[in-house]
Amino acid sequence: MRVIECSNLTKTFFTKKALNKLSFSIEENKITGLIGRNGAGKTTLLKIIAGFIKETSGEIKVFSEKPFNNLNNSAHVIYVDDHMSFPSTIPLLELLKVAESFYPNWNRDLAMRLFEYFSFDPKTYHHRLSKGKTSTFNMIIGLASRCSLTIFDEPTTGMDESVRKDFYKALLKDYIAYPRSIILSSHHLSEIEDLLEDVLLIKDGKTYLQMPISELKEYAFALQGNNGEVFKLTSDKEVIFKNHIASNVTYVIVKNDGSKNLLQQARHAGVEISPVPLSDLCVYLTNETNGGIEDVFNEN
Amino acid sequence: MSLTRTNLAKTIKKQYFFKLKANITSFTLLIGVQLLALLFSLGGVASSSFGSSSIRLNTQYYTADIVIIFTLIWAFVMAITITTKPHRDLDFTFVTNRLSSSFANILYLLTVSIVGSMMAILSDNLLRVIIYTFLDKQFYSSTMGLQEFIMGISITSFYVLMVCSIGYFVGTLVQISSLFTILLPALFFGSLFLRPSMDEKPIITNAFEYYLLESSLTLFIVKIVITTALFFTISTSILNRMEVRQ
Repeated sequence: MRVIECSNLTKTFFTKKALNKLSFSIEENKITGLIGRNGAGKTTLLKIIAGFIKETSGEIKVFSEKPFNNLNNSAHVIYVDDHMSFPSTIPLLELLKVAESFYPNWNRDLAMRLFEYFSFDPKTYHHRLSKGKTSTFNMIIGLASRCSLTIFDEPTTGMDESVRKDFYKALLKDYIAYPRSIILSSHHLSEIEDLLEDVLLIKDGKTYLQMPISELKEYAFALQGNNGEVFKLTSDKEVIFKNHIASNVTYVIVKNDGSKNLLQQARHAGVEISPVPLSDLCVYLTNETNGGIEDVFNEN
Repeated sequence: MSLTRTNLAKTIKKQYFFKLKANITSFTLLIGVQLLALLFSLGGVASSSFGSSSIRLNTQYYTADIVIIFTLIWAFVMAITITTKPHRDLDFTFVTNRLSSSFANILYLLTVSIVGSMMAILSDNLLRVIIYTFLDKQFYSSTMGLQEFIMGISITSFYVLMVCSIGYFVGTLVQISSLFTILLPALFFGSLFLRPSMDEKPIITNAFEYYLLESSLTLFIVKIVITTALFFTISTSILNRMEVRQ
Protein backbone atom coordinates (compact mmCIF):
# COMPACT_ATOMS: atom_id res chain seq x y z
CA MET A 1 0.00 0.00 0.00
CA ARG A 2 1.16 3.46 -0.79
CA VAL A 3 1.25 5.88 2.09
CA ILE A 4 1.77 9.00 0.05
CA GLU A 5 0.95 9.49 -3.58
CA CYS A 6 1.44 12.83 -5.17
CA SER A 7 1.50 14.01 -8.72
CA ASN A 8 2.28 17.44 -10.18
CA LEU A 9 2.10 18.97 -6.72
CA THR A 10 2.61 22.71 -6.89
CA LYS A 11 2.60 25.22 -4.09
CA THR A 12 2.96 28.92 -4.73
CA PHE A 13 3.62 31.55 -2.09
CA PHE A 14 2.69 34.83 -3.76
CA THR A 15 4.88 34.62 -6.85
CA LYS A 16 7.45 32.16 -5.61
CA LYS A 17 7.00 28.51 -6.45
CA ALA A 18 8.01 26.49 -3.41
CA LEU A 19 6.98 23.23 -5.04
CA ASN A 20 6.94 22.87 -8.79
CA LYS A 21 5.11 19.87 -10.25
CA LEU A 22 6.48 17.47 -7.69
CA SER A 23 5.57 13.82 -8.18
CA PHE A 24 6.55 10.85 -6.08
CA SER A 25 5.10 8.11 -3.92
CA ILE A 26 6.17 6.49 -0.68
CA GLU A 27 5.55 2.88 0.23
CA GLU A 28 4.27 1.68 3.57
CA ASN A 29 6.53 1.07 6.57
CA LYS A 30 9.73 2.56 5.23
CA ILE A 31 12.08 5.13 6.62
CA THR A 32 12.50 7.70 3.91
CA GLY A 33 15.05 10.47 4.03
CA LEU A 34 13.95 13.77 2.51
CA ILE A 35 17.06 15.53 1.35
CA GLY A 36 17.42 18.92 -0.23
CA ARG A 37 19.16 22.23 0.16
CA ASN A 38 17.81 25.15 2.13
CA GLY A 39 14.71 26.46 0.39
CA ALA A 40 14.29 23.40 -1.81
CA GLY A 41 10.73 22.96 -0.55
CA LYS A 42 11.19 20.21 2.04
CA THR A 43 9.23 21.84 4.82
CA THR A 44 6.51 23.02 2.43
CA LEU A 45 6.07 19.46 1.17
CA LEU A 46 5.97 18.03 4.70
CA LYS A 47 3.43 20.62 5.84
CA ILE A 48 1.19 19.77 2.92
CA ILE A 49 1.44 16.08 3.85
CA ALA A 50 0.56 16.96 7.44
CA GLY A 51 -2.48 18.91 6.22
CA PHE A 52 -1.35 22.27 7.57
CA ILE A 53 -1.24 24.01 4.23
CA LYS A 54 -3.10 23.43 1.00
CA GLU A 55 -1.56 22.67 -2.36
CA THR A 56 -2.01 25.27 -5.10
CA SER A 57 -2.48 22.66 -7.79
CA GLY A 58 -1.77 19.01 -8.42
CA GLU A 59 -2.92 16.09 -6.38
CA ILE A 60 -1.79 14.59 -3.10
CA LYS A 61 -3.20 11.62 -1.24
CA VAL A 62 -2.04 10.46 2.15
CA PHE A 63 -3.53 7.07 3.10
CA SER A 64 -5.76 7.53 0.04
CA GLU A 65 -7.28 10.73 1.39
CA LYS A 66 -6.61 14.38 0.76
CA PRO A 67 -4.63 15.61 3.75
CA PHE A 68 -5.75 19.25 4.02
CA ASN A 69 -8.24 19.83 6.82
CA ASN A 70 -8.76 16.11 7.26
CA LEU A 71 -9.40 14.83 10.76
CA ASN A 72 -8.34 11.26 9.95
CA ASN A 73 -5.15 12.52 8.40
CA SER A 74 -4.43 14.55 11.48
CA ALA A 75 -4.78 11.48 13.67
CA HIS A 76 -2.59 9.28 11.49
CA VAL A 77 0.11 11.77 10.70
CA ILE A 78 2.26 13.59 13.19
CA TYR A 79 4.56 16.37 12.14
CA VAL A 80 7.46 17.02 14.48
CA ASP A 81 9.78 19.98 14.25
CA ASP A 82 11.24 22.49 16.66
CA HIS A 83 8.30 24.89 16.18
CA MET A 84 5.62 22.63 17.64
CA SER A 85 3.65 24.82 19.95
CA PHE A 86 2.59 23.83 23.43
CA PRO A 87 0.66 25.91 25.94
CA SER A 88 2.76 27.74 28.50
CA THR A 89 0.33 26.81 31.28
CA ILE A 90 0.67 23.03 31.18
CA PRO A 91 3.75 21.35 32.69
CA LEU A 92 5.69 18.81 30.63
CA LEU A 93 4.41 15.66 32.29
CA GLU A 94 0.85 16.87 31.88
CA LEU A 95 1.55 17.55 28.20
CA LEU A 96 2.38 13.89 27.72
CA LYS A 97 -1.00 13.03 29.23
CA VAL A 98 -2.73 15.46 26.88
CA ALA A 99 -0.94 13.90 23.92
CA GLU A 100 -1.97 10.48 25.16
CA SER A 101 -5.61 11.51 25.14
CA PHE A 102 -5.36 12.54 21.49
CA TYR A 103 -3.33 9.75 19.90
CA PRO A 104 -4.94 6.28 19.94
CA ASN A 105 -1.65 4.36 19.54
CA TRP A 106 0.18 6.34 22.20
CA ASN A 107 2.79 4.32 24.07
CA ARG A 108 2.84 5.69 27.59
CA ASP A 109 5.57 3.36 28.75
CA LEU A 110 7.95 4.48 26.02
CA ALA A 111 7.12 8.14 26.57
CA MET A 112 7.77 7.89 30.30
CA ARG A 113 11.03 6.02 29.91
CA LEU A 114 12.35 8.47 27.32
CA PHE A 115 11.17 11.35 29.52
CA GLU A 116 13.14 10.00 32.45
CA TYR A 117 16.16 9.00 30.37
CA PHE A 118 16.59 12.53 29.06
CA SER A 119 16.01 13.75 32.62
CA PHE A 120 13.18 16.18 32.03
CA ASP A 121 11.73 17.94 35.03
CA PRO A 122 8.03 16.95 35.09
CA LYS A 123 7.03 20.30 36.57
CA THR A 124 8.80 22.60 34.15
CA TYR A 125 7.16 24.20 31.13
CA HIS A 126 7.81 23.75 27.44
CA HIS A 127 8.68 27.38 26.72
CA ARG A 128 11.43 27.28 29.38
CA LEU A 129 13.30 24.45 27.68
CA SER A 130 16.53 25.07 25.82
CA LYS A 131 16.69 24.60 22.05
CA GLY A 132 18.08 21.08 22.26
CA LYS A 133 15.71 20.09 25.04
CA THR A 134 12.76 21.41 23.03
CA SER A 135 13.74 19.21 20.11
CA THR A 136 14.21 16.26 22.44
CA PHE A 137 10.80 16.71 24.03
CA ASN A 138 9.12 17.08 20.63
CA MET A 139 10.91 13.94 19.50
CA ILE A 140 9.44 12.04 22.47
CA ILE A 141 5.95 13.16 21.44
CA GLY A 142 6.70 12.09 17.86
CA LEU A 143 7.96 8.65 18.78
CA ALA A 144 5.44 7.82 21.48
CA SER A 145 2.44 8.85 19.39
CA ARG A 146 3.24 5.96 17.03
CA CYS A 147 1.31 7.54 14.18
CA SER A 148 1.12 5.52 10.97
CA LEU A 149 3.08 8.29 9.29
CA THR A 150 5.60 10.06 11.46
CA ILE A 151 7.30 13.10 10.00
CA PHE A 152 10.45 14.49 11.54
CA ASP A 153 11.45 17.82 10.00
CA GLU A 154 14.97 18.67 11.12
CA PRO A 155 14.37 16.84 14.41
CA THR A 156 17.89 17.25 15.76
CA THR A 157 18.04 21.06 15.75
CA GLY A 158 20.06 22.13 18.77
CA MET A 159 20.62 18.61 20.09
CA ASP A 160 24.13 17.78 21.19
CA GLU A 161 26.12 14.94 19.69
CA SER A 162 25.17 12.32 22.25
CA VAL A 163 21.47 13.16 22.24
CA ARG A 164 21.46 13.02 18.43
CA LYS A 165 22.95 9.54 18.50
CA ASP A 166 20.47 8.47 21.18
CA PHE A 167 17.65 9.83 19.08
CA TYR A 168 18.66 7.87 15.99
CA LYS A 169 19.01 4.70 18.05
CA ALA A 170 15.64 5.26 19.71
CA LEU A 171 14.03 5.93 16.35
CA LEU A 172 15.42 2.71 14.86
CA LYS A 173 14.55 0.58 17.87
CA ASP A 174 11.01 1.83 18.05
CA TYR A 175 10.63 1.45 14.29
CA ILE A 176 11.65 -2.20 14.56
CA ALA A 177 9.31 -2.74 17.51
CA TYR A 178 6.43 -0.99 15.78
CA PRO A 179 6.98 -0.61 12.02
CA ARG A 180 5.44 2.47 10.49
CA SER A 181 6.20 4.95 7.76
CA ILE A 182 8.70 7.57 8.78
CA ILE A 183 9.92 10.57 6.86
CA LEU A 184 13.09 12.13 8.13
CA SER A 185 14.29 15.43 6.79
CA SER A 186 17.76 16.37 7.79
CA HIS A 187 20.81 18.22 6.61
CA HIS A 188 23.09 15.70 8.27
CA LEU A 189 22.82 12.88 5.76
CA SER A 190 26.03 11.27 6.99
CA GLU A 191 24.38 10.80 10.39
CA ILE A 192 21.19 9.25 9.15
CA GLU A 193 22.33 7.24 6.14
CA ASP A 194 22.51 4.00 8.12
CA LEU A 195 18.94 4.55 9.22
CA LEU A 196 17.34 5.22 5.87
CA GLU A 197 15.93 2.76 3.40
CA ASP A 198 14.90 5.24 0.72
CA VAL A 199 16.08 8.66 -0.23
CA LEU A 200 13.97 11.35 -1.83
CA LEU A 201 16.11 14.15 -3.11
CA ILE A 202 14.36 17.34 -4.09
CA LYS A 203 15.78 20.35 -5.83
CA ASP A 204 13.95 23.58 -6.71
CA GLY A 205 10.62 22.09 -5.67
CA LYS A 206 10.96 19.08 -7.95
CA THR A 207 11.82 15.45 -7.33
CA TYR A 208 15.43 15.14 -8.37
CA LEU A 209 15.79 11.47 -7.62
CA GLN A 210 14.18 8.83 -5.45
CA MET A 211 15.88 5.51 -4.86
CA PRO A 212 16.87 3.02 -2.18
CA ILE A 213 19.92 4.18 -0.26
CA SER A 214 21.90 1.13 -1.43
CA GLU A 215 21.50 2.26 -5.03
CA LEU A 216 22.38 5.82 -4.18
CA LYS A 217 25.65 4.63 -2.70
CA GLU A 218 26.58 3.27 -6.14
CA TYR A 219 25.11 6.22 -8.00
CA ALA A 220 28.45 7.89 -8.65
CA PHE A 221 32.18 7.59 -8.09
CA ALA A 222 35.09 9.95 -7.95
CA LEU A 223 38.17 10.09 -10.15
CA GLN A 224 41.30 11.87 -9.14
CA GLY A 225 44.46 12.24 -11.16
CA ASN A 226 46.26 14.00 -13.96
CA ASN A 227 44.14 16.59 -15.78
CA GLY A 228 44.49 15.06 -19.24
CA GLU A 229 43.95 11.48 -18.16
CA VAL A 230 40.88 12.35 -16.11
CA PHE A 231 39.46 14.39 -18.98
CA LYS A 232 39.97 11.51 -21.40
CA LEU A 233 38.25 9.04 -19.07
CA THR A 234 35.28 11.24 -18.29
CA SER A 235 34.65 12.78 -21.68
CA ASP A 236 31.67 10.50 -22.40
CA LYS A 237 30.37 10.50 -18.85
CA GLU A 238 27.90 12.65 -16.98
CA VAL A 239 29.99 14.88 -14.73
CA ILE A 240 28.39 15.81 -11.44
CA PHE A 241 31.21 17.77 -9.88
CA LYS A 242 34.62 18.95 -10.96
CA ASN A 243 37.37 20.55 -8.93
CA HIS A 244 40.97 21.40 -9.63
CA ILE A 245 42.85 20.32 -6.56
CA ALA A 246 46.22 21.43 -7.83
CA SER A 247 47.38 22.89 -11.13
CA ASN A 248 47.60 19.47 -12.78
CA VAL A 249 45.36 17.36 -10.57
CA THR A 250 41.61 17.19 -11.10
CA TYR A 251 38.92 15.65 -8.91
CA VAL A 252 35.81 14.66 -10.82
CA ILE A 253 32.62 12.96 -9.71
CA VAL A 254 30.84 11.14 -12.50
CA LYS A 255 27.59 9.23 -12.67
CA ASN A 256 27.99 5.48 -12.58
CA ASP A 257 26.75 4.14 -15.91
CA GLY A 258 27.79 0.57 -15.13
CA SER A 259 30.73 0.34 -17.54
CA LYS A 260 33.19 -2.15 -16.17
CA ASN A 261 36.33 -1.46 -18.13
CA LEU A 262 36.60 2.06 -16.75
CA LEU A 263 38.13 0.71 -13.57
CA GLN A 264 40.87 -0.96 -15.51
CA GLN A 265 41.48 2.00 -17.79
CA ALA A 266 41.75 4.26 -14.79
CA ARG A 267 44.17 2.03 -13.00
CA HIS A 268 46.20 1.90 -16.20
CA ALA A 269 46.33 5.68 -16.47
CA GLY A 270 47.25 6.10 -12.83
CA VAL A 271 43.90 7.72 -11.94
CA GLU A 272 42.54 7.02 -8.49
CA ILE A 273 38.94 5.83 -8.20
CA SER A 274 37.02 6.21 -4.95
CA PRO A 275 33.45 6.06 -3.72
CA VAL A 276 31.71 9.36 -2.94
CA PRO A 277 30.38 9.97 0.56
CA LEU A 278 26.60 10.25 0.34
CA SER A 279 26.38 13.60 2.00
CA ASP A 280 28.91 15.03 -0.44
CA LEU A 281 27.11 13.48 -3.36
CA CYS A 282 23.81 15.04 -2.35
CA VAL A 283 25.43 18.42 -1.92
CA TYR A 284 26.97 18.21 -5.39
CA LEU A 285 23.77 16.91 -6.96
CA THR A 286 21.74 19.76 -5.59
CA ASN A 287 24.28 22.49 -6.18
CA GLU A 288 23.05 25.43 -8.17
CA THR A 289 26.33 25.84 -10.05
CA ASN A 290 29.12 23.45 -10.83
CA GLY A 291 31.70 25.43 -8.91
CA GLY A 292 32.13 25.92 -5.22
CA ILE A 293 32.49 28.63 -2.63
CA GLU A 294 36.13 28.96 -3.70
CA ASP A 295 34.93 30.58 -6.91
CA VAL A 296 33.45 33.43 -4.91
CA PHE A 297 36.86 34.28 -3.51
CA ASN A 298 38.69 33.45 -6.69
CA GLU A 299 38.89 36.78 -8.46
CA ASN A 300 40.17 35.31 -11.66
CA MET B 1 -3.23 -1.58 6.99
CA SER B 2 -6.52 -0.64 8.55
CA LEU B 3 -6.72 2.84 9.89
CA THR B 4 -9.25 3.78 12.51
CA ARG B 5 -11.65 6.58 11.70
CA THR B 6 -11.50 9.53 14.00
CA ASN B 7 -14.64 10.68 15.73
CA LEU B 8 -15.36 14.41 15.39
CA ALA B 9 -17.39 14.77 18.58
CA LYS B 10 -14.78 13.01 20.70
CA THR B 11 -12.02 15.12 19.22
CA ILE B 12 -13.94 18.31 19.99
CA LYS B 13 -14.41 17.15 23.58
CA LYS B 14 -10.69 16.46 24.02
CA GLN B 15 -9.79 19.76 22.42
CA TYR B 16 -12.23 21.63 24.63
CA PHE B 17 -10.65 20.30 27.82
CA PHE B 18 -7.19 20.93 26.38
CA LYS B 19 -8.23 24.52 25.65
CA LEU B 20 -9.57 25.06 29.15
CA LYS B 21 -6.26 23.90 30.61
CA ALA B 22 -4.20 25.87 28.15
CA ASN B 23 -6.15 29.10 28.74
CA ILE B 24 -6.53 28.82 32.47
CA THR B 25 -4.75 32.15 32.92
CA SER B 26 -7.64 33.93 31.20
CA PHE B 27 -9.76 33.21 34.28
CA THR B 28 -7.09 34.64 36.54
CA LEU B 29 -7.21 37.71 34.35
CA LEU B 30 -11.00 37.79 34.75
CA ILE B 31 -10.64 38.00 38.54
CA GLY B 32 -8.20 40.88 38.17
CA VAL B 33 -10.45 42.74 35.75
CA GLN B 34 -13.52 42.29 37.95
CA LEU B 35 -11.70 43.41 41.09
CA LEU B 36 -10.61 46.52 39.22
CA ALA B 37 -14.20 47.10 38.17
CA LEU B 38 -15.32 46.68 41.79
CA LEU B 39 -12.81 49.30 42.81
CA PHE B 40 -14.39 51.70 40.32
CA SER B 41 -17.83 50.79 41.62
CA LEU B 42 -16.90 51.91 45.14
CA GLY B 43 -17.28 55.52 44.02
CA GLY B 44 -20.97 54.94 43.42
CA VAL B 45 -22.83 55.64 40.22
CA ALA B 46 -25.09 58.45 41.26
CA SER B 47 -25.88 60.55 44.30
CA SER B 48 -28.65 62.86 45.32
CA SER B 49 -28.83 65.40 48.05
CA PHE B 50 -31.81 66.79 49.88
CA GLY B 51 -31.69 69.37 52.56
CA SER B 52 -33.70 71.84 54.59
CA SER B 53 -32.77 74.12 57.48
CA SER B 54 -32.80 71.30 60.02
CA ILE B 55 -32.08 68.15 58.02
CA ARG B 56 -29.70 67.18 55.28
CA LEU B 57 -30.00 63.89 53.39
CA ASN B 58 -27.31 62.61 51.10
CA THR B 59 -27.97 59.43 49.07
CA GLN B 60 -25.30 57.57 47.24
CA TYR B 61 -26.21 54.80 44.76
CA TYR B 62 -23.97 51.79 44.24
CA THR B 63 -24.15 49.13 41.59
CA ALA B 64 -21.82 46.47 40.25
CA ASP B 65 -23.00 47.05 36.68
CA ILE B 66 -19.57 48.26 35.73
CA VAL B 67 -18.28 44.75 36.50
CA ILE B 68 -20.52 43.47 33.70
CA ILE B 69 -19.12 46.08 31.30
CA PHE B 70 -15.58 45.04 32.20
CA THR B 71 -16.51 41.39 31.81
CA LEU B 72 -17.82 42.13 28.32
CA ILE B 73 -14.54 43.82 27.38
CA TRP B 74 -12.59 40.90 28.84
CA ALA B 75 -14.67 38.39 26.87
CA PHE B 76 -14.21 40.41 23.67
CA VAL B 77 -10.44 40.34 24.12
CA MET B 78 -10.44 36.60 24.97
CA ALA B 79 -12.41 35.85 21.81
CA ILE B 80 -9.95 37.80 19.66
CA THR B 81 -7.01 36.13 21.40
CA ILE B 82 -8.04 32.58 20.55
CA THR B 83 -8.19 33.39 16.86
CA THR B 84 -4.54 34.48 16.81
CA LYS B 85 -1.85 32.38 15.21
CA PRO B 86 -0.23 30.97 18.38
CA HIS B 87 -3.59 29.73 19.59
CA ARG B 88 -4.51 28.16 16.27
CA ASP B 89 -1.09 26.52 16.01
CA LEU B 90 -1.62 25.05 19.46
CA ASP B 91 -4.54 22.96 18.20
CA PHE B 92 -2.49 21.66 15.32
CA THR B 93 0.12 20.12 17.58
CA PHE B 94 -2.39 17.37 18.28
CA VAL B 95 -5.24 15.74 16.39
CA THR B 96 -7.56 18.31 14.87
CA ASN B 97 -9.13 19.77 11.82
CA ARG B 98 -10.34 23.29 11.41
CA LEU B 99 -13.95 22.42 12.14
CA SER B 100 -13.20 20.64 15.41
CA SER B 101 -10.91 23.49 16.38
CA SER B 102 -13.67 26.04 15.78
CA PHE B 103 -16.27 24.03 17.68
CA ALA B 104 -13.90 23.64 20.61
CA ASN B 105 -13.30 27.40 20.48
CA ILE B 106 -17.03 28.12 20.57
CA LEU B 107 -17.52 25.74 23.50
CA TYR B 108 -14.64 27.43 25.27
CA LEU B 109 -16.18 30.87 24.67
CA LEU B 110 -19.51 29.57 25.95
CA THR B 111 -17.73 28.54 29.15
CA VAL B 112 -16.04 31.91 29.30
CA SER B 113 -19.43 33.62 29.02
CA ILE B 114 -21.10 31.57 31.72
CA VAL B 115 -18.21 31.75 34.19
CA GLY B 116 -17.71 35.47 33.51
CA SER B 117 -21.37 36.27 33.99
CA MET B 118 -21.71 34.20 37.10
CA MET B 119 -18.78 35.95 38.69
CA ALA B 120 -20.03 39.36 37.55
CA ILE B 121 -23.45 38.83 39.10
CA LEU B 122 -21.94 37.39 42.28
CA SER B 123 -19.56 40.33 42.57
CA ASP B 124 -22.64 42.40 43.33
CA ASN B 125 -22.75 40.67 46.71
CA LEU B 126 -19.09 41.36 47.28
CA LEU B 127 -19.73 45.04 46.63
CA ARG B 128 -22.51 45.05 49.27
CA VAL B 129 -20.23 43.41 51.79
CA ILE B 130 -17.41 45.88 51.12
CA ILE B 131 -19.69 48.89 51.40
CA TYR B 132 -21.38 47.54 54.51
CA THR B 133 -18.06 46.76 56.16
CA PHE B 134 -15.87 49.67 55.21
CA LEU B 135 -18.09 52.68 54.49
CA ASP B 136 -19.48 54.31 57.56
CA LYS B 137 -22.94 55.04 56.18
CA GLN B 138 -26.50 53.90 56.66
CA PHE B 139 -26.91 51.03 54.23
CA TYR B 140 -30.03 49.96 52.38
CA SER B 141 -30.06 47.31 49.71
CA SER B 142 -32.53 45.53 47.49
CA THR B 143 -32.48 41.80 47.93
CA MET B 144 -31.91 39.41 45.08
CA GLY B 145 -34.06 36.28 44.92
CA LEU B 146 -32.92 32.99 43.44
CA GLN B 147 -35.03 33.56 40.33
CA GLU B 148 -33.57 37.01 39.76
CA PHE B 149 -30.14 35.62 40.38
CA ILE B 150 -30.46 32.87 37.76
CA MET B 151 -32.15 35.26 35.37
CA GLY B 152 -29.32 37.76 35.84
CA ILE B 153 -26.68 35.18 35.09
CA SER B 154 -28.47 33.84 32.01
CA ILE B 155 -29.18 37.24 30.46
CA THR B 156 -25.62 38.40 31.13
CA SER B 157 -24.30 35.15 29.64
CA PHE B 158 -26.25 35.82 26.46
CA TYR B 159 -24.76 39.30 26.19
CA VAL B 160 -21.24 38.07 26.90
CA LEU B 161 -21.59 35.24 24.38
CA MET B 162 -22.74 37.68 21.71
CA VAL B 163 -19.78 39.92 22.42
CA CYS B 164 -17.56 36.82 22.20
CA SER B 165 -18.97 35.96 18.79
CA ILE B 166 -18.29 39.51 17.60
CA GLY B 167 -14.76 39.32 19.01
CA TYR B 168 -14.24 35.96 17.34
CA PHE B 169 -15.43 37.42 14.04
CA VAL B 170 -13.18 40.48 14.40
CA GLY B 171 -10.23 38.23 15.25
CA THR B 172 -10.93 36.07 12.22
CA LEU B 173 -11.03 39.08 9.90
CA VAL B 174 -7.71 40.27 11.28
CA GLN B 175 -6.28 36.82 10.52
CA ILE B 176 -7.25 37.26 6.87
CA SER B 177 -5.53 40.61 6.60
CA SER B 178 -3.93 42.88 9.15
CA LEU B 179 -5.54 45.77 7.26
CA PHE B 180 -8.64 45.06 9.34
CA THR B 181 -6.82 46.21 12.48
CA ILE B 182 -7.11 49.72 11.05
CA LEU B 183 -10.30 49.29 9.09
CA LEU B 184 -12.49 47.85 11.87
CA PRO B 185 -11.81 50.54 14.51
CA ALA B 186 -12.25 53.18 11.80
CA LEU B 187 -15.60 51.66 10.86
CA PHE B 188 -16.67 51.47 14.49
CA PHE B 189 -15.77 55.03 15.39
CA GLY B 190 -17.02 56.26 12.05
CA SER B 191 -20.40 54.68 12.66
CA LEU B 192 -20.72 56.62 15.92
CA PHE B 193 -21.22 59.70 13.76
CA LEU B 194 -23.00 58.04 10.90
CA ARG B 195 -26.67 58.89 10.95
CA PRO B 196 -29.36 58.67 8.30
CA SER B 197 -30.22 62.37 8.67
CA MET B 198 -29.20 65.18 10.97
CA ASP B 199 -32.09 64.88 13.42
CA GLU B 200 -31.93 61.11 13.76
CA LYS B 201 -29.86 58.96 16.07
CA PRO B 202 -26.60 57.40 14.81
CA ILE B 203 -27.08 53.96 13.28
CA ILE B 204 -24.94 52.31 15.95
CA THR B 205 -27.25 53.64 18.68
CA ASN B 206 -30.14 51.97 16.93
CA ALA B 207 -28.17 48.76 16.83
CA PHE B 208 -27.49 48.94 20.58
CA GLU B 209 -31.10 49.73 21.33
CA TYR B 210 -32.21 46.81 19.18
CA TYR B 211 -30.50 44.43 21.58
CA LEU B 212 -30.54 46.35 24.87
CA LEU B 213 -34.09 47.65 24.97
CA GLU B 214 -35.88 44.44 24.07
CA SER B 215 -38.60 43.89 26.67
CA SER B 216 -39.78 40.45 25.61
CA LEU B 217 -37.52 37.72 26.94
CA THR B 218 -38.25 35.28 24.12
CA LEU B 219 -37.58 37.88 21.43
CA PHE B 220 -34.41 38.92 23.21
CA ILE B 221 -33.11 35.34 23.26
CA VAL B 222 -34.05 34.82 19.62
CA LYS B 223 -32.26 38.00 18.56
CA ILE B 224 -29.11 37.18 20.51
CA VAL B 225 -28.97 33.54 19.46
CA ILE B 226 -29.41 34.38 15.77
CA THR B 227 -26.77 37.12 15.85
CA THR B 228 -24.31 34.94 17.74
CA ALA B 229 -24.86 31.96 15.47
CA LEU B 230 -24.40 34.17 12.42
CA PHE B 231 -21.06 35.54 13.56
CA PHE B 232 -19.77 32.12 14.62
CA THR B 233 -20.87 30.51 11.35
CA ILE B 234 -19.17 33.14 9.21
CA SER B 235 -15.97 32.96 11.29
CA THR B 236 -15.93 29.17 11.20
CA SER B 237 -16.34 29.04 7.45
CA ILE B 238 -13.53 31.59 7.01
CA LEU B 239 -11.20 29.75 9.39
CA ASN B 240 -12.02 26.47 7.67
CA ARG B 241 -9.96 27.54 4.67
CA MET B 242 -7.07 29.02 6.59
CA GLU B 243 -3.60 27.51 6.43
CA VAL B 244 -1.71 27.02 9.67
CA ARG B 245 1.89 26.96 10.86
CA GLN B 246 3.23 28.74 7.83
